[in-house]
Parts: sequence; C-alpha cells; structure tokens
Amino acid sequence: MKEIKIALVGQPNVGKSHLINSISGATLHVGNFSGVTVEKKEVEFERSGYKIKLIDLPGTYSLHPYTPEEKVTKDYLLNEEYDLILNVIDSNQLEKNLTFTWQLADLGRAMVVAFNMYDEYARQGGNIDTDKFFNLTNIRAQNVSAKEKFGLEELFEKVVCAYEERNIPKVYYSEIIEEEIENLKEKIKECGFTKRFVAIRLLEDDEDIYKIVHEKPWYSEILDVLKAAKERLRVEYDEDDTKTVMFEERFALSKGVVTQIAKKAKKETVTEKIDKILIHPVLGLPIFLFIMWAIFQATFNLGSIPMDYIDASFGAFGEWVGGLLPEGVVKDAVVNGVIPAVGAVVMFLPNILILYLGINLLEQTGYMARAAYVMDGVLKRFGLQGRAFIPLVSGFGCSVPAYMAARTLKNPKDRLITMLVIGFMSCGARLPIYVLLVSAFFAPEIQGNVMFAIYIGGALMGLIVAKILRMVLFKGEPEPFVMELPKYRFPKLKAILFDLWIKTKMYLKKAGTFIATASLIIWFLSSYPVNEKELSKIPKSQQQTYVLEHSYLAQIGKAINPVFEPLGFSWRETVSIISGLAAKEVVVSTMAVLYNTPESDETSKELIETIRKNISFATAVAIILIIMFYSPCLAAMGTFWAEVPQWQWRIFYTIYPNVFAYIAALIGVGLIKAFS
Amino acid sequence: MKLSDLSIGQSGVIKKIHAKEPLKSKLLSMGITRGEKVKVLKHTLAKNTFDIEVGNSSIALREEEAAQIEVEKV
Repeated sequence: MKEIKIALVGQPNVGKSHLINSISGATLHVGNFSGVTVEKKEVEFERSGYKIKLIDLPGTYSLHPYTPEEKVTKDYLLNEEYDLILNVIDSNQLEKNLTFTWQLADLGRAMVVAFNMYDEYARQGGNIDTDKFFNLTNIRAQNVSAKEKFGLEELFEKVVCAYEERNIPKVYYSEIIEEEIENLKEKIKECGFTKRFVAIRLLEDDEDIYKIVHEKPWYSEILDVLKAAKERLRVEYDEDDTKTVMFEERFALSKGVVTQIAKKAKKETVTEKIDKILIHPVLGLPIFLFIMWAIFQATFNLGSIPMDYIDASFGAFGEWVGGLLPEGVVKDAVVNGVIPAVGAVVMFLPNILILYLGINLLEQTGYMARAAYVMDGVLKRFGLQGRAFIPLVSGFGCSVPAYMAARTLKNPKDRLITMLVIGFMSCGARLPIYVLLVSAFFAPEIQGNVMFAIYIGGALMGLIVAKILRMVLFKGEPEPFVMELPKYRFPKLKAILFDLWIKTKMYLKKAGTFIATASLIIWFLSSYPVNEKELSKIPKSQQQTYVLEHSYLAQIGKAINPVFEPLGFSWRETVSIISGLAAKEVVVSTMAVLYNTPESDETSKELIETIRKNISFATAVAIILIIMFYSPCLAAMGTFWAEVPQWQWRIFYTIYPNVFAYIAALIGVGLIKAFS
Repeated sequence: MKLSDLSIGQSGVIKKIHAKEPLKSKLLSMGITRGEKVKVLKHTLAKNTFDIEVGNSSIALREEEAAQIEVEKV
C-alpha cells in the first residue's frame, strides 16, 4: 500500500494533538526526534487506499524559531523527507495563524490546511469559505473540529486529493517583493530547495538558509542583487530590517485573504470574564496557592480511601498464592518478598493518579499559562521566568517529562538553572514515601498540611537554589517572558481518562516488573546467607530477625551506615534510601521487605505501624528531607544527561543534590534534637 | 508612548517594535505588529507582568518587553 507521509504543523494551542487523538482507527507511536529528546508522535491509519502517516511536529509560531523545540520543527521541514504539509489553524485566530501558513507555502511543497476549532467559531457566528481559500491560494482546506469530530474524514479526502494532484500553494506577495524574488531567482542555482523559497528566506535574513547558500559557488553572485533588494524593501516599507517587512507583508496578506474567505465571529468573552478573577492583580496569587493546596489535599485525603481495599486485596492474594506454592525458597521469595513489596507500591496508585489528574487539568483547561503569568513576578525574583513554571510544576508529576518541558526555555542558562532545580519538585513516585512516613508520624488532622508543606518546602528550596545558581554560576539577565494565554477550554473527559489509563498501566507495569525484580533482589540479599548451625541455636521466633541481621544486605548496609549514623539511620534506612536512586518506588518496597518481621502480618497497611515502632521521629524527618532533595531516579538522571551535553554540569548535577540533601537532613535532625 | 505606560483597560495602536532579534520576530509572529490595536487587559500588582490583547489572542509579557513596544494611545 502506498504511504503518504505528512508533516503536521501549526502554531501552539491550535489543537494539533487533540486532532491526532480524534482520528479513528489510528495507531500511535511515541518516540524521539533523532538526536534530541523532544517527543515525536507518529500516527498511522488507512484512508482511500493509502497508508497515511502523520508526524506531529512541535508547535511553532514561525519559521524563525525562538526556542530549541521550534528549531526541531524547522529542521524537520527543511531536511527530512515527507510528501505533504498539513497545517492546522485555530479558526478563531485566522490572521495570526495564516502568517505562518504563508511561510510554509513558500516551501513549495504540497499542502493542506485544517481550520480547527471551527465549532466554536461557527457558534459565534463565524464562517470560512474553504473553496474560495483554495481558489485564492491553491491550498485545499477543510473546516474541522477535533472536539466534535466533524470534518476529519473530509480533511483526509482532501489530503489524498492534494497528494494525487500535487497541489503546490500559489501564494504571492505584493508586487515589489515579487519583483525582488524574481531578480534573486535568476542568480540562485541548485541547492536542494525551490529557488523561490531560497530567495524569500534570503530576503528575510534566514540564517539557516544563509549558511547553506554560503557554501555554494554562486554565493558571491547574488550578494549585490540581495543587498539592493533588501535596501529597496527597507525604504519602501519604512522599516529597519527586511525580516520585519516580511512579517508585516504576511500579516497584510492574511488580513486580505481573511476578508475574502471568512465571516467574522463575535468575540468570545468568557475567557476574559474568568481571567478577571483568576489572574486578578491582588487575588491571582492567593487563588493560585489555594488551587495547588487543594490538589495536594485531594491527593492525600481522597487517595487514602481506596488504600485499605488495595491493601486487603494484596493480603488475600498473598495468602492465596502461598496456599498454591509448595513450602520452600520460591514460596518465601514470592509471599514474603515480592507480593508485599509490590502491594506496598501499588497501594499508592490512587494518590499518584489524583496528583496527575490535578496537573493534567491545570494544563488542559489553560490555567497553567495563567499560573505562569501569576508566578512570573515571583520567579523573576529568583532569577527565573514565568515560563519556567511549567517544567517546574510538571516536576511534581515526573522529572523526566519536566526536563523535556524545559526545552520551551530559549536561553541555555535559564534552561540549565531550571533543570538543576526540577529535582527539588517532589515527583509522584516520592509521594508513597511521604504518605507512609507522614501517616506514621503525624496526627491525621494535619497530615494533608504536612504533605503540602513538604511539597512547598521543596519547591521553595528549589527557588532559593536557583537564585544562588543565578548569582554565582550563571550571571546575567533572565530571558524575556512572552507567552500566549490560550483560551479556557473544558477539559475533554476522554483524553483525561485515556491519559490516566496510560499512567495506571505504566505504573502497574513498573510495579510488576522493575519493582518486583528489585524487591526480589532485596529479598534475596536480605535472606541469605543462612548459617543453619548458628540458626538452630536460637529460638524460632527470633530466627528471621537473626537471618536479616546477618544477611548480605545488612553487611552492605552496615558498611555504608557510618555515613548516615549522624542522622540516626540504621542499616535498614540506609539501604532503603540508596535503593531509591534506582527508582523512588523502590524505597517503599525495600522498607516493606526489610521490616517484614514475623511480628508484622505482612500487609502494607501494617507497614505504617511497623515503621512507627522502628523509626524515631527525627529519623523519619531526616528520611523525608533526604527524599525531598537527593538525586532523582536513574531514568530522570539519564534524561538530564541526554539533555545537557556539558560534562561539568552533568557531574555537578549528579553530586550536588546528594550533598545538599545530606546537609539538610543533618540540620533537620539537629533542630529536632535541640527542641525536644 | 510605551505599551507599558498604558493602564488597565486602555488601548493603543502599535507604532514600532524596538526589541532586538530574536525577541522581535517572536513578538511579530504572535501578531504584535505595526498598525495593530493592543489593549492592556491586566497587569500584576507591581506592574511586573502584563496581559495584553492583540487581535483575538491574549499575551502575557513583562514590563521590560512591553517597554520596547511603542504605541499611540487611542
């Protein structure tokens, strides 16, 4: 079957990913663009006898990229093989979106436009004549609504049509510019792009094209013509630079086309009304803090409801499996090692899902951008900018996507500072450890608030560290803050449920594979070697404790323990903390194995009781402090290393959080001892 | 006058963008171009960050950036 490979492009917030999710019968692959960690979504499906493959490129405002992510899109469009460009446009922002469409049209490739969010536009009385648009530009277009799923099938019919008929856009600028394009075209020889495209990009100072052309033997021949052309445009348009001339030209073209094809919609005012309250000069910040507080309260309080059920199920499951297996090592390993450990991790799934749901809702409704606006003033004081808020908040979910989200920061210094403190935003995987320790050591009424304090404390410390980094290592001004505030939208239930389902699946998969293996290893290391002769001398009830105390794990733990002794750690806590470097979930599962003494009845809820009996308050606080600040998991560290090529920063990143965590824990323990 | 000199609710027409590249391109590509009407929807208490309306979109920017946009009050 013939394949049509399509580059899916559009400005940010036009509902591109929404559109992808609405295509029926499509399979989705998620990967990375080569060489970078920007997420690359590929969607495949069949229509009209073709296999259609969509490559979702990062949203970008223009072909003059501003962020590293926007650069990915431009590089793809210039260098990769594809058959057609599908440009998605927000119908409510035609003029602005079309300025980008004209830049894409210059590429001289087959192209189709989707006027997305047409449902909203039509509801406000708007109307777009796509046939007329086709007549004017030779670009086939379709009004669609990814939300209400209309126009999608027609869109792909037009895609196939444009592919078969090779509909190359015919978009022309005003006479003066076209004249200069023609003059330049005469001098331009072969270079892999259409002459028209090269001429236009040279006129508007595109450095990437400059670099390519610079290598060509005919480069010197175009210089005079180019210089004269640019001079003429500057004078005619009364502007300082030709890049601005071209932006204005395209904007004027958009306006001209829009008056011909579209009936204007009434202005939507809901967003403005909501914003009157949510980003109110005085109320904005307290409202933001309240929303965050509410999310953490819900995470803790609602999340604890299903815990007992999950706990009971794993207990019953363990007994059932125990009944099936013959007595021996395998039974021991499964019933005492793997099942309670995996159960202890799965028990916290509801908490994690609620936290993800909260972050997801902030994102989908459009509040996240407002939060960036509200927080910009605060972040600026710490040497960051409002946009850094989004990776930082994502860090509360998982550090891995947070590091990737930092790509939206343009300035390398800003990016690095943000990435260095993302680890201080406690990720979802650390939540179980907090829940465990907070449940064990704090009164039920204040548990939610303690949790909030842990998260806010971590975040604040992150900001302070950012400020110090900015003052000491990264002197200079933070990058400018310019950010679109998208319209408020009702979150789509299906998309959210799908997302949570994916998260659940991944979490359970991790619990069933990685965590199960890790806890099996921990169990093995904690159950061997067994000295039968010695063992027979001591009473049966103390045998298990004896084995544990003399196990490999105890030996390892005891060897490292002197380092953690000032914090009051026994080797059990030491081992748990260190195992957390592999993945934070492992801390809880390790504790479950290590504290699984005969006195406890092996269920997860009991773990809280056991912990309370075995650990002092000061030690619990020290553990919490270390978890808050020390290195994130291997996966996160790997992502950071992939994102940051400089060795000195990689090494700094790998060491400083651990030193910081240790000192913080020392101070914490010291304070508690001083005041008790 | 500068965009940052407008108060909440006031509008102006953009005369010139004084920002340097690449910020200038960024502003232009977001629809902040000569001849367009801008309205200050909101700013934070200390006037650090502005929320402006251009075309049909609302854009957040800092006082420093707003000061580089020359407008004529209408």
